[in-house]
Amino acid sequence: MVFTVDCDVHVNDTPGALAPYCDLPWRHSLEDLDGANYPYLQIPGFAPNFRLDPPIRGMHPYRSVNTAREMREELTEIGVDVGILFPDHLLLFAAIPHPEYALFLSRAYNRWLLDRWLRDEPGLYGALLACPQDPEGSARDIEEFAREDRIVAIYLPTAGVNPLWGHRRYDPIFAAAEAADLPVVLHSVTIVSPVFPCQLEQFENHFARQMLGHSFAMMANLVSIMHTGVPARFPNLRIVFTEAGIAWAPYMKWRLDKYYHEYRRMVPVLERRPSEYMSERIWVSTQPIEEPDDPSHLVETIRHIGEDRVVFASDWPHHDFDHPRALLRLPMPQDLKRKIMGENALRVFTRIPAPSAVGADSEERA
Amino acid sequence: MAEHVIGTIDDFPPGSSRLVKVRNVEIGVFNVGGTLYALPNICPHQAGPLCEGTVNGTMICNAATEWKHQWVRDGEFLTCPWHGIEFEIATGRALANPRLRVRQYPISVDQGLVKITL
Repeated sequence: MVFTVDCDVHVNDTPGALAPYCDLPWRHSLEDLDGANYPYLQIPGFAPNFRLDPPIRGMHPYRSVNTAREMREELTEIGVDVGILFPDHLLLFAAIPHPEYALFLSRAYNRWLLDRWLRDEPGLYGALLACPQDPEGSARDIEEFAREDRIVAIYLPTAGVNPLWGHRRYDPIFAAAEAADLPVVLHSVTIVSPVFPCQLEQFENHFARQMLGHSFAMMANLVSIMHTGVPARFPNLRIVFTEAGIAWAPYMKWRLDKYYHEYRRMVPVLERRPSEYMSERIWVSTQPIEEPDDPSHLVETIRHIGEDRVVFASDWPHHDFDHPRALLRLPMPQDLKRKIMGENALRVFTRIPAPSAVGADSEERA
Repeated sequence: MAEHVIGTIDDFPPGSSRLVKVRNVEIGVFNVGGTLYALPNICPHQAGPLCEGTVNGTMICNAATEWKHQWVRDGEFLTCPWHGIEFEIATGRALANPRLRVRQYPISVDQGLVKITL
């Protein structure tokens, strides 16, 4: 068995579940949203999105996980030792316009996460939801919640965020993450919204929007944080890009370097090539892992990004999740598998104890 | 290799899909238009529980349909519940990838008894 840290699993964060954890007056809003049978990733005032497509028969079912115990059992079933929890519906959190409500909602989610998901079950850790609508308020919350040792990361909601995460208005969030020694994790989802990556409504089905939504979000935010010098200005900040696969990363790394040669004087805040910052403090998580006909091409891609830079993610329980075997069956040496499946993650999410310290748990579950 | 009786023909009427167990191997048995097929309950993609998925038709759109969408061949395709990959039950072929194929177990009817060879 390879010790496996899963950098992206999702909890079912319904308005009704969060309502008791939300302060007034906005608790009433969550109470009033409770119980309605909204589809996945489409709740007005909570997960705002346009779902444009008619259903087509034969699609696979929607899955969600509702309790920590269920999550522990299901992760163990697929071979995951440690899971880092992210929301379902609040993947669309950045699209909520109201800054005060957004801050209350992020606080409610973080309280609920700590209380309902991170108390009892072994091997479950959490990413705090940051609030881009109120960076100062969010930074104060991060400082407070980051004292909890089951919190191992700051989740930067990326779908619909405007402006992108490199904007200086978010500096308080990066400063708080750096001060807490917690990595920030960018996570997007397909969204039809007037912000970058915009105009996805012109595509006539979700296949097309899914192609571009996640990957453009990651590429655009990588460029955004580079061009304002986030990795230079926060020299101890660790940054993780999730849910767009990995093959976009070498392309962007090489392209950033190519134009850094030409335009360096526009971005003097970067004192080294972008690839050097990427090689030291930026990680990419695997899901949805590309599946080329020749799997050695994927191993080669991993080497282009860096053997220490790639971390496993399943995205459980979502429709395009990857079973750990999608990585374990690749033609690569065992030591590289150990790095991708767990060892690299321990260097990013430094609060997660190494397996020797959690050995009792692993054996019990094995 | 041996033949295993899994039931009578009446247990597998046309349009039915059932999961059976033969020597601890989970097998999906599908009756498509009067013909029986037996597929392992393991998706060749990421080993999901393929045969627990739904059976449906599929959508096509090509020159023969004058580039209009048509829903065709109801009951002939199995969708994996994990990643939604469609397999043609009769051939085991994944519609989206000619390299992806689920194998078939030999299945036969003999004097009203349904037998799988395993």
